Amino acid sequence: MTTPKRTHPLGLLQHIAKSIKDYWFLFILLLSQWQHINSVWFWGTLVLMLVAFLIWPTLKWLMLSYAVTPDAVIVHSGIFVRHHEHIPYSRIQTVQRKQWFYLRPFKLEEVLIETASHDDSAPEARLAAVPTDVADTIEHYRHTAPAATAVADDTTALTATDTADQTDAPVLAHYRINSADLVKFGLTSLIFIPFLLVLLGLYNKIPESFTNSLINDASHMALALLIGGAILIIVIAWLGAFFWTLTRYYHFELDREPDQLKAAKGLFQRNTITAPIARIQAVRIKQNILRQWLHLQTVQVLIASKAASDDDDNDLVIMPVIANQAVYRTMTPFVDWLPQTAPDLTALRVPRNWYLMRNAVLFVAFPAIIIAWFWPHLSWISILLVIIAILQGRFAGHNTAGALISPNLLALQTGHFWTREVYYVPADKIQSMGFQQSIWMKKTQLAHLTVNVRHGNHNQAIELRYVPVTAAQDLYDWYLHRT
Amino acid sequence: MQPTTHHLPPRIKRIWGYSAMGSLLALLVITGLLWLAYRYWDWAAWIPVAGLVLTIVEPIVEVAFIPYRYQFTRYQISDLAVEMQAGFIFQKRVAIPIARVQNVTLNAGPLLQWQKLTKVTVATAATSHSIEGLELPEAEQFREQIMRLAREARHDNA
Repeated sequence: MTTPKRTHPLGLLQHIAKSIKDYWFLFILLLSQWQHINSVWFWGTLVLMLVAFLIWPTLKWLMLSYAVTPDAVIVHSGIFVRHHEHIPYSRIQTVQRKQWFYLRPFKLEEVLIETASHDDSAPEARLAAVPTDVADTIEHYRHTAPAATAVADDTTALTATDTADQTDAPVLAHYRINSADLVKFGLTSLIFIPFLLVLLGLYNKIPESFTNSLINDASHMALALLIGGAILIIVIAWLGAFFWTLTRYYHFELDREPDQLKAAKGLFQRNTITAPIARIQAVRIKQNILRQWLHLQTVQVLIASKAASDDDDNDLVIMPVIANQAVYRTMTPFVDWLPQTAPDLTALRVPRNWYLMRNAVLFVAFPAIIIAWFWPHLSWISILLVIIAILQGRFAGHNTAGALISPNLLALQTGHFWTREVYYVPADKIQSMGFQQSIWMKKTQLAHLTVNVRHGNHNQAIELRYVPVTAAQDLYDWYLHRT
Repeated sequence: MQPTTHHLPPRIKRIWGYSAMGSLLALLVITGLLWLAYRYWDWAAWIPVAGLVLTIVEPIVEVAFIPYRYQFTRYQISDLAVEMQAGFIFQKRVAIPIARVQNVTLNAGPLLQWQKLTKVTVATAATSHSIEGLELPEAEQFREQIMRLAREARHDNA
């Protein structure tokens, strides 16, 4: 496969679909011109649509060609400005394969290749519809790529030579979600909140006169009916989110191959992401408030790639839902540097929650005062804001923790917006570390510690605030003098 | 190599002084625009007044804090890491291991160029951290030193 090839004609569909997604507003423009069917504007819009949805994608498809050579993946693209992308295997962060159900009978899939370059939010290469053996070939060359240039870690160096002749790397560990867990994951997902906000946003768009009459009607109605209506809306949003999660994580599978993790999921679109273990920047174990009550956790990995941008919080989920006590036992076969049991993180606990609570209240103070001042009848919102802030501050205080659990592994726990997150960061993946202390904190013997980790195309600052100064200082000095 | 602590060149204080004057000018223009808005669009009178107060107070505070800012801004280089420090009331320190440094960039705006100074930015795969101004030869030496140490300590992780 060394001569450049075009992608399969079905890829054209993908290009058209993307154009429609990007320029859907042209339809609205067309509809708005519907009355003046003979005007030049109507026909202009029609021509514009023809170009945007048919000619442009076709040209794009015609001009895109790719070649998988033993040294690199080469992609030629562009209509007026030609791009020649040359991606050596050692630079590849993630290979993502997306297979829509209609591509399955043709043994085709979309392949996205990402490197760690800062430049674009888009992947380095996007091949809309190519035979499935293209990705297999890429994987094969990736395994045989010289390890010295690939990564400094020993894990890859060992495997690079002995997998040279086989395309399928041996699977060292395998996990497949069962239906009970999938349902649990869907039901405890909090993505119904954005759904709910959209519904509420729609409510705001309703004309004033209409809402007023609604409120008038409502005052005649029984309170029970009103509450019932509210619950109904929440249930609808929740069910919507539930089925959405269900289709996305359907048949979730995780495989540990000698030097990489492979996660596959999805019903209508099967989405497979492979990421080299040596490139994992951090592991995050996360619990939203619902999952805290039910003692369930979600495990994600932070990688220097946007491949997982559809996942929760843009991070590659490697274990959607798992019981608290089984996390470490289940995860160590997949990521071997994780601890065997839940570690003791008391070294960086917050001694007094007061400062975090105070700061949270200060944060909402201004909007709360504005609301209470200008709309006195809405002052209950201000009170609610302050109460939420106090509780949030307390939650953050309770959940801030961390410790150096081995000379090469740092564990940090934070609590933001009722989500508890534990990060495991290998020492050589910490990009920089910050230490902050105000003059007043000298008296109280507290300090802030910031740990910077690469995440997607940007920085993830893990901040532990108001932790004991001696512990923070020790950790900072350890990092500063680490060889 | 023992870590050595460096201060910024004293001329950086002059740059900060000019930059305070720059803020004064910018704020004056904004206040002028606010006054016009008050005059012709019937904006409330307290808006240009607040603008004027800010115009007077902000540059004074900025100038007053220059000696303090200079006193507590420093950086250190050892074989293993670069450390930058700033502030005393709000003390900030950041440690960047040499092995994590991706590149060192020197850039200078017109003011810095005129004073033959340059801003030095140390970038890792995730973050970037700047030293506000160094003498040109000093900055180049700093860059050479870090890039040499980085080549020695190279672990490619991004």
